[in-house]
Amino acid sequence: MDRQVEFVLRTLEERDIRFVRLWFTDVLGSLKSVAVAPAELEGAFADGIGFDGSAIEGFARVYEADMILRPDPATFQLLPWRGEYPGVARMFCDILLPDGSPSYADPRWVLKRNLAKASDLGFTFYAHPEIEFFLLRERPEPGARPQPIDTGGYYDHTPHSTAHDFRRTAITMLESMGISVEYSHHEGAPGQQEIDLRYADALTTADNIMSFRLVMKEVAIEQDVYATFMPKPFTDHPGSGMHTHVSLFEGEKNAFYEPGAEFQLSKVARAFIAGLLRHAPEITAVCNQWVNSYKRLWGAAERTAGAGGEAPAYVCWGHNNRSALVRVPMYKPQKGNSTRVEFRSVDAACNPYLAFAAILAAGLKGIESDYELPPGAEDDVWALTPAERRALGINPLPQNLDEAINAMQDSELVAETLGEHVFDFFLRNKREEWHEYRRQVTEYELNRYLPML
Amino acid sequence: MSASRTTLAGRLARMGFADAARAGGLLLDAGLGGPAAGLDTGPETGPADGLDGDAVVAALAEAADPDLALAGLARVLGAAKDPGALRAALRDEPDFRRRLTAVLGVSAGLADHLTRHPGDVGVLRGTVSRPEPQTLTGEMLAAVQGTANQAAALAAAYRRRLLHLAARDVTGAATIDEVGEELADVAAAVLEAALAVARAELPTAAPPCRLAIVAMGKCGARELNYASDVDVIFVAEPDPSSPRAAEETAALATASRLAAGVIGVCARSTPEGGIFPVDPNLRPEGRAGPLVRTLASHRAYYERWAKTWEFQALLKARPVAGDLGLGTAYADALRPMVWQAARREHFVADVQAMRRRVEASLPARQAGRELKLGPGGLRDIEFAVQLLQLVHGRTDETLRAPATLPALAALAVGGYVGRADAAELAAAYRFLRRTEHLLQLHRVSRTHTLPEDPAVLRRLGRAIRISDEPNEPSLPPPVTRADPAAEFAELMSRHARQARRLHEKLFYRPLLEAVARLPTEAARLTPDAARARLEALGYADPAGALRHIDALTSGVSRRAAIQRTLLPVLLGWFADAAEPDAGLLAFRQVSEALGQTPWYLRLLRDQTKAAERMAHVLASSRYATGLLLRAPEAVAMFGDDAELVPRGLAALRSEMMAAAQRYWDDAEAAVTAVRSVRRRELLRTATADVLEAADLKATGQALTAITRATLEAALAAAERKVGGELRQPLPTRFAVIAMGRLGGHECSYASDADVLFVHDPLPGQPEKLASDAAHAVAAELRRLLALPVSDPALRVDADLRPEGRQGPLVRTLAAYRAYYRRWSAPWEAQALLRAEPAAGAAGLGTQFTAMIDEFRYPKGGISSAAVREIRRIKARVEAERVPRGADRARHVKLGPGGLSDVEWAVQLLQLRHAHALPGLRTTRTGTAMAAAVQGGLLSAEQAAALAAAWQLAARIRNAVMLVRGRPGDTLPARHGELTAVARLLGYPPGDAAQALEQDYRRCARRARAVMEPLFYG
Repeated sequence: MDRQVEFVLRTLEERDIRFVRLWFTDVLGSLKSVAVAPAELEGAFADGIGFDGSAIEGFARVYEADMILRPDPATFQLLPWRGEYPGVARMFCDILLPDGSPSYADPRWVLKRNLAKASDLGFTFYAHPEIEFFLLRERPEPGARPQPIDTGGYYDHTPHSTAHDFRRTAITMLESMGISVEYSHHEGAPGQQEIDLRYADALTTADNIMSFRLVMKEVAIEQDVYATFMPKPFTDHPGSGMHTHVSLFEGEKNAFYEPGAEFQLSKVARAFIAGLLRHAPEITAVCNQWVNSYKRLWGAAERTAGAGGEAPAYVCWGHNNRSALVRVPMYKPQKGNSTRVEFRSVDAACNPYLAFAAILAAGLKGIESDYELPPGAEDDVWALTPAERRALGINPLPQNLDEAINAMQDSELVAETLGEHVFDFFLRNKREEWHEYRRQVTEYELNRYLPML
Repeated sequence: MSASRTTLAGRLARMGFADAARAGGLLLDAGLGGPAAGLDTGPETGPADGLDGDAVVAALAEAADPDLALAGLARVLGAAKDPGALRAALRDEPDFRRRLTAVLGVSAGLADHLTRHPGDVGVLRGTVSRPEPQTLTGEMLAAVQGTANQAAALAAAYRRRLLHLAARDVTGAATIDEVGEELADVAAAVLEAALAVARAELPTAAPPCRLAIVAMGKCGARELNYASDVDVIFVAEPDPSSPRAAEETAALATASRLAAGVIGVCARSTPEGGIFPVDPNLRPEGRAGPLVRTLASHRAYYERWAKTWEFQALLKARPVAGDLGLGTAYADALRPMVWQAARREHFVADVQAMRRRVEASLPARQAGRELKLGPGGLRDIEFAVQLLQLVHGRTDETLRAPATLPALAALAVGGYVGRADAAELAAAYRFLRRTEHLLQLHRVSRTHTLPEDPAVLRRLGRAIRISDEPNEPSLPPPVTRADPAAEFAELMSRHARQARRLHEKLFYRPLLEAVARLPTEAARLTPDAARARLEALGYADPAGALRHIDALTSGVSRRAAIQRTLLPVLLGWFADAAEPDAGLLAFRQVSEALGQTPWYLRLLRDQTKAAERMAHVLASSRYATGLLLRAPEAVAMFGDDAELVPRGLAALRSEMMAAAQRYWDDAEAAVTAVRSVRRRELLRTATADVLEAADLKATGQALTAITRATLEAALAAAERKVGGELRQPLPTRFAVIAMGRLGGHECSYASDADVLFVHDPLPGQPEKLASDAAHAVAAELRRLLALPVSDPALRVDADLRPEGRQGPLVRTLAAYRAYYRRWSAPWEAQALLRAEPAAGAAGLGTQFTAMIDEFRYPKGGISSAAVREIRRIKARVEAERVPRGADRARHVKLGPGGLSDVEWAVQLLQLRHAHALPGLRTTRTGTAMAAAVQGGLLSAEQAAALAAAWQLAARIRNAVMLVRGRPGDTLPARHGELTAVARLLGYPPGDAAQALEQDYRRCARRARAVMEPLFYG
């Protein structure tokens, strides 16, 4: 670690960096930043930098606002955009209390604590996300309708399109920040893009997602467009999700892989999936934390039934079944270490630290309690009738934020995972959001009821 | 001769051989001993060279372990090229004989060496004196010249040197200090030779470099053991004389190979055994860091990143091999930084943590067996000395000695440590080191644990006495050989006793000298140094602390004398608790109040336990301290375990009644006496709570008993007074009914006495007269208990009576019945659940509770309208009663899952079901919950969730009161206060505060989840 600190300080000198942004994340997943001059950094590594926590969502404990940011030198990165000179760099921070103990309100610590629990069981948790988002012509004014930048569809390649340039620039920028991109393409809806990150340990991946969202916004600004991770900006087009592939490793060995087993899935993997399924309703509020998230889960689905509806709203798993909540991707021979499961409900507007913590905890619970994996679904779940689904024991995820909150508030698992402080704050905040939303009179109601009532 | 019937075995046994039969055989085989004057050696008698043989046998018998010595000698003779010459040398050279037998008597490992190299016995012949370091280096370098297996040759040369030194060591020719120095010199010479080997193994094309080996730790301080790791740091630079001087990276690569080579040579296992492990892990960044660094890189690291303990390690850095110029430059560059360490920001916190780490290991481990890490062990002494060096060495250069004993001596000369204390500790340290050396010599292996084997203890006991150091003041003269093992154990425990009070002696006692007014010859701690030290020990206001120490210890009174002895210990105890400064101040106050009282001084002087308890209470609980300061003579209770058990109601009642009786004609004086008993009992209860983390139920019952006895005694005084004023016996019977927590036997430190007053006019007495008298009694009772005297008041709260504050203070039994029949509101029935007779006329209280049963346990349960009303009130209380701005989740009384959630839920069950389930007819929450489980109203899990939250909330409330001395219904807002509360509740240091908060909120959330459906339906 100390060598890393030396590297950071040396790089600051060599690259003539004049500002270092110290990044951290509030409980709702917004990126927060404090800029410091390099001269302050040495002190920051040793003692951290004090700040007023009461201004930050979810840290607020009025009585004790003094908190400390301590940068993690392993996350040091130059920020590549805007050709800024002198340059700017960033580091993620841990949040501490004045006595140096970690703050239970820090989402990054929530994830770290759960990773430590996995590590006590001998596991390392890896994740890689497929992040979807929309590019719009401009940042919409209040009341205006969002305009996608193109009318392209799946894998469309339009010569000299903005989207194409955008992806190229964005990926270059991500790579220059040390964030490896696996795959990128135009998604199904107009203006919709997908970029898949390479797998890494969950903490790094969560940090990467925070960087990713900012990079997309920055590149969009450079190109005079607007990038949004809103789960469902268009009523008639599919929404943006963040299908997340996860796996557990025991040392160098993929703990999900067992040659010869059905789908090459080990007992660990099957119990992990069972845990995900059993606890899926409880962790939905964390993975899909906005009112709008549920429009994606339940929005376009019925009409695309039979055509492989993309949003997985029913709790089931399947081998390469894109309508299932948990998909086991096609096994590639000779690639035992790539065995993984894909959790498909998460959206890109979540707090990745909390979402990964919740996914991990649900899966570990399955392993620790030796849950039995129910039979997999082979059909398109959307195409089944409600009675068929009931017969197969396939339950829906919460239909809206309110249901999700109710499922979460009775969850011992989520409370232990997030810690009492974050758990309590999150529920209160989300209840307020729901109440605020419920009192809105929507465009839908005006269009439909005014003429007829 | 007449002794001719003595067998050889018998003779040998008397000489000290444990296995005499085997010894006899060995002697014969080795051609030793033989038929010394009349010995019957059996048929196979060797040459009749009795006298000479006898001298060797006598020397063997003198050895620490005669059997070991003999076995070793037999092996050496067996291996010798010319055993006859060796026997002759043994016979003719007494010094040689003594050295060889003494070494073989402690070391099987060196016997192995001599068996491999019988010729090496030569080093023990003739004049044997301490070698110069250059001699050693030359010898080791020569050993690795022109041989195929250089590591083996080096190992053999190394062991030859150990042999030479061990012989002088065990015959008393070298002191323990000299042994440590010479071992370090030998190690340095070995490192130099190993470096030469590594250099020879380099490819010719390797870019040249300068490499210095700097010894750290015991080798650096020249206080090495026979077998221990040698801690080193490597410093490298490009060779300026080389044409490739600019290539720093390439030169460092060469240096890394050399360093790795040195470590490898010393670690290689050879037929000669290994040498010693070379440990480079004290380098910057430890295992993760590069093996070699340039001087500039070292300096940069220590300037920026080094932790306090790393500076502590640097104390002992000394260049020993390789490029000494570079090594010296390294030492010169870094030495000043060591002495700046005490100015670093985290120094105080680090020192605290290091001190805690050392002390944390003290009580748990079994004393005595662990020479190095045990309590009062070597590490403990070394650590304490180094801490003092770091604290005071910045301003006083005389303290900058690298080795422990010289540093301790310098600390004594400078007055930082008392002279006698330093001498005792030095003696203990030397003893432990000697023991360690002897244990390691046995197999030339690393060990720090004292075996329990009596044979080993015997060897140690004999060896220590043989080489008894003349300058060791605390050792008894060697009187007897009767039982060396027991003698050794006795020495060991004597030294351990000295070392165990190490921190008191080293850290605290000199603080007293700093404020001593009597001029002394010896140097003493200056006030500045004393302040620096107090701060390092955790006192927030060192200047204030020094003033208190001064006030407590100055003067020639007996009190001052006793406190001078006691304070060093107390200062340490205070430093371990939450508020050292407050503890010291309170101690001064107690002491000033009681200082002249002989029993107080006796208590402090003779009862360590009492003093320790007092220190702990004074520095952790403001509540208890406040009570103690009102009447300091209560410290007497600290001296006796039995005194710390809260008393039962009967005992309290009779003592308080007796106190009141003494002032039968003066109600105020009577109640003042009662209240002073109450204050003492509160202190007793609080003290038990602080010291033992008493269980909640016991505390609640104790506090309830105190309140009830107080009410009884005060009521008696009030009745007597009112009767006196009326000049007639009281015209009515009067009773106090306990309500609320008092009725439930669940009082907290902050509870008022919730009561109802009831009276019943005597037959024939005018109603008005009776009622006036009853009101007068009630008013007088409340007045007496609230009078402003020095003891805390007991607020008697009658607001739960019918019509609340608007209603009459006292009613007759009939009036209560009439009221409850006609008007009773659901909340009143709820309040009556906890009604229980507390004091006053026998029978009246029971009549009252029998009368109210129909209201609190109504037939068929309370009406659904009443249920609705209670739920509504509860909902309103939840919304309105939590103070504005307070975080509801942290409110342990009214917040979700808090006390009132649990109590209301249980009480609602009682109101609805007590008519059918007699077990629910209780005033106690816990009992009611158990009955509800029995009756199937609650599942065991639900009850467990409710009980956990309820108990933790109540414990938090009590702990808040104990810590702050003020009541509070929320988790404290200040982090420090929350930490103190959490520590009092038994949470370990670290993140105690957040762990407590997490626990409470988890319990409360679960309780709320049970309570909501249960209570609100």
